[in-house]
Amino acid sequence: MSRSNVILAVVLVVAALAILAAASLLHNGLSSRATPTSFEAMLARNARHLAIPAQGRKQQNPVAASPDNLRDARLHFADHCAICHGNEGTGDTLIGKGLYPKPPDLRAAETQKLSDGELFWIIENGVRFTGMPAFGGNHGSQEDSWKLVRFIRHLPQLSNDERLEMERNNPKGPGDRTEENEEEDFLRGTPVQQKHESSHPH
Amino acid sequence: MRAKFFTLIALIALTASVAMPHGDKKHVIGTLEKINADSIVVKTSDGKSVEVKLVASTIYVSHVGNEDKSAQLSNLTVGDRVVIHATPNGETLEANEIKFSSKSAQGAARPKR
Repeated sequence: MSRSNVILAVVLVVAALAILAAASLLHNGLSSRATPTSFEAMLARNARHLAIPAQGRKQQNPVAASPDNLRDARLHFADHCAICHGNEGTGDTLIGKGLYPKPPDLRAAETQKLSDGELFWIIENGVRFTGMPAFGGNHGSQEDSWKLVRFIRHLPQLSNDERLEMERNNPKGPGDRTEENEEEDFLRGTPVQQKHESSHPH
Repeated sequence: MRAKFFTLIALIALTASVAMPHGDKKHVIGTLEKINADSIVVKTSDGKSVEVKLVASTIYVSHVGNEDKSAQLSNLTVGDRVVIHATPNGETLEANEIKFSSKSAQGAARPKR
């Protein structure tokens, strides 16, 4: 086979794959409910790594891992972060599952192996083209972000009592509060009409 | 035109995944009817019996008075009122959190509102 024929064959195969992919794209659309491919995840991880300046990566956490600091961070996380990341940091929330890319499991090695400086930089500056906003600037102090870094380190050991405390501090809308009150009424023994299996999008 | 072409190419390159529906959480509310080794059965107010699987990550919460306290599977007894947040997994439900109150605690609870 001549060299020109080989090139032609390769071009035809690439074109056929591109047509198949385009047909799939046009047919299925682009949903944020999809799970990113491992190729996309790899690209995103590298892009995030490149986005963090070398000096930022080396920064040391000036905040101690004291019980008071961890509690401050826990309540801060419950109020600001849990809506996407979940109180346990799993990302298993309505909003988290609807993002593309999904929030990472903060307890997993992929996140825990980031340096304190990298975690701080991400909290302060966000991650472009994802749902992670920048919390630096006018919002709060850098000390709060460093405390959150401490809390992210603590997440794999989060106790059930800590999680319950966070639940009480999660932002809730009127619908959530009504549902919570109905559930509490039921647990207290109040007869509740037609309380049974129900769907709840959270 | 060129920008649109390259955008489409980039999308094709990045998009081989298929949309996967995410399962919404389910709430199961009722009275504990049966405790099995790896599941519990709840009788709901409309008389249906709903089985919910217990998994390693299931969290147990005892509701006493107006307080939620960390608990264990062994604290559950038949007849308890339960509120379960569960995730559908195929035909089954897997419990994320089981909040319960014992019969004695129900009578002793003070009204909250």
